[in-house]
Amino acid sequence: MLQAQSLSRVFGGLTAVDEVSFHVRPGRMTGFVGANGAGKTTTMRMLMGVLAPSSGSVTWNGSPIGAEDRRGFGYMPEERGLYPRMKLAEQLSYFARLHGFSRKDALSRADELLGFFGLDERRDDLLDNLSLGNQQRVQIAAALIHRPTALILDEPFSGLDPLAVDAMVELLQREAADVPVLFSSHQLELVERLCDDLVILSEGHVVAAGSVDELRSEREERYRVVLDGQDAAWLRDLRGVRVDDVDGATALLTLDGLEAAGLTRAVVERGPVLEVARVRRPLSEIFREVTR
Amino acid sequence: MSTQSTTGPAAGRGMWRVVAEREVSTQVRSKAFLIQSGLLLVGLIGMVVLYTFLGDREQTSTVGVVDEISATAVDEASTIAQARDGNVVLDSTTYDDVDAAEDAVLAGDVDAALLPAASGEGYELVGDDSVSATITQSVSAAVSHLVTTANAAEQDVDLAALVSGAEVGQRLLDADADDAGLRQAASFIFVLLFYVTALTFGLTIAGSVTQEKESRVVEILAASVPIRALLWGKIAGASVLAIGQTVVLALAGVIGLVATGNLDALGVIGPAIGWYVVFFVLGFVALASLWSVAGALASRQQDLGGATAPLQIILFAPYLIAVTAGEGVRTVVSMLPVVSTMLMPARLAEGDVPAWQLAVAILATLMAAVLFVRLGARVYENNLLRTGNRISFREAWARRAPADA
Repeated sequence: MLQAQSLSRVFGGLTAVDEVSFHVRPGRMTGFVGANGAGKTTTMRMLMGVLAPSSGSVTWNGSPIGAEDRRGFGYMPEERGLYPRMKLAEQLSYFARLHGFSRKDALSRADELLGFFGLDERRDDLLDNLSLGNQQRVQIAAALIHRPTALILDEPFSGLDPLAVDAMVELLQREAADVPVLFSSHQLELVERLCDDLVILSEGHVVAAGSVDELRSEREERYRVVLDGQDAAWLRDLRGVRVDDVDGATALLTLDGLEAAGLTRAVVERGPVLEVARVRRPLSEIFREVTR
Repeated sequence: MSTQSTTGPAAGRGMWRVVAEREVSTQVRSKAFLIQSGLLLVGLIGMVVLYTFLGDREQTSTVGVVDEISATAVDEASTIAQARDGNVVLDSTTYDDVDAAEDAVLAGDVDAALLPAASGEGYELVGDDSVSATITQSVSAAVSHLVTTANAAEQDVDLAALVSGAEVGQRLLDADADDAGLRQAASFIFVLLFYVTALTFGLTIAGSVTQEKESRVVEILAASVPIRALLWGKIAGASVLAIGQTVVLALAGVIGLVATGNLDALGVIGPAIGWYVVFFVLGFVALASLWSVAGALASRQQDLGGATAPLQIILFAPYLIAVTAGEGVRTVVSMLPVVSTMLMPARLAEGDVPAWQLAVAILATLMAAVLFVRLGARVYENNLLRTGNRISFREAWARRAPADA
């Protein structure tokens, strides 16, 4: 488990990251979200050790993290960086060799990852000659090349089409199924679909952290009620709920004292019902709420 | 809180070799490197050929004559000229009369004409606008000898007895001076070669560091291996290339001299070539870490010129001194670290250098190499991951304080 403990970073007089604590559990995808300038990249760079924190610490499996531990991590920096004038296979195998792979193992590992993205025929092309999407694929391959013990990915999906995102997710699930994965993203629907855990950062502070389910249920529960024919306005008079919106036979309400079972009973007693359903609140809503 | 720059106990060790390998394999395949090496090689071989061509060519000068005695005098002058300068041969062409001979001089068919003097007494050497000193002196001596001999026979004088004891022999105290041209050329080549090689490879190191910063690949590298391993790898890779190129050039020079039959020249400058390789290795390694630092200070290729300027001056100053300074200054300066790489082989090519001066120069460079590498490593570690504007040297030196880096 990778843990940030009260990490802070001051640039000049500006506190970019302020007492940030959270953990990234193995075998789970942890989404790292926050507005531009919230401090995500700074935090990730401190986790990777390419930036020294002003205060606070990082622990790995319970002990203070060392350079050796970090070298096992896979990292995709915010500003993508590879050698533009180096051939793909050569480039990836170079990174593998920097992690101690033998020449032969390094090359076969590079070919394996290139093959996954269907880039095997371009193994001798220069990175520069690839489309941006393909360059990004090579970048993620570089982060995975040494079978990392943890993954820190800064905006790994930005600029990718949905199919490319799916391919990359599939690769992550195959390659890093049992290691802690932290990735930042602006695409909240994507985070919602992929993440098990979530850390929300706002102006350098953690405003919410935990599993996506926890975060949802911590908040008030919303239900949608669709009646058969009759107007749903009467629900405004029901005790223990707060009606947010009524549109003909449909009402959107929040439980405020009443249990879900009680709501269902009350609605059925009154007449025919088409639907009583819990509304899964989109992450974007939670996000807006906590960063407000 | 440890950062990536802390060297780990086991992993990451030996990674500098992987880094060095990439440096070498990338460079060896780059067009710029191949072209530069090729040009240097062609230039060096050209110098050897030029030296051979200029040094060994026989210069035949033709002197026009109108009588038998003059022709004999020219033959004898040729012998005298050859004794003075091994490469000059005089030849005579006989013309019908004085006018024809003078026309030949004007037309440039002959270099000069040896004609009976208009006054009727003795001879005169006729040229168009000038007559070379070699021709004048050797012909005068030959004529003088011939006429004196003839006059002596006519007067019944024993010439041998007359000139007995008048010969002036020659004993050379500084026979080396004979090779002065060769030595100076060699010394100049050493200075120039180090300047060119150190500068190109230095800029290559700096450029490759900056490129890694600019393309941001450095964050991935720094997350994979200790920063020091990157530095060592760069230094080792560039040194292998530069030294390899230097050895190839030195060998080419030696083979060139042997192939063109200039074994004597090899004897004169051979030891200097050997010393050049020794000094080159030391001087280059000492500077290599500083070039990496310069690269780490620049964030973009455009900043590279400014960041490397101090180093370019360090290299150019001794170059200027080597070419212009007086003996005393050169002797002292040639013992300074790095500068010695340029000046010592040059001085060795020009003549003997006391052993203690060589020892001082080598020790000083060794010490400087150790010092530069240590300082370099610190500044390199401090700045490799900084981006943005070019970093000032003062800023670069200060330990990266987490509060404001």
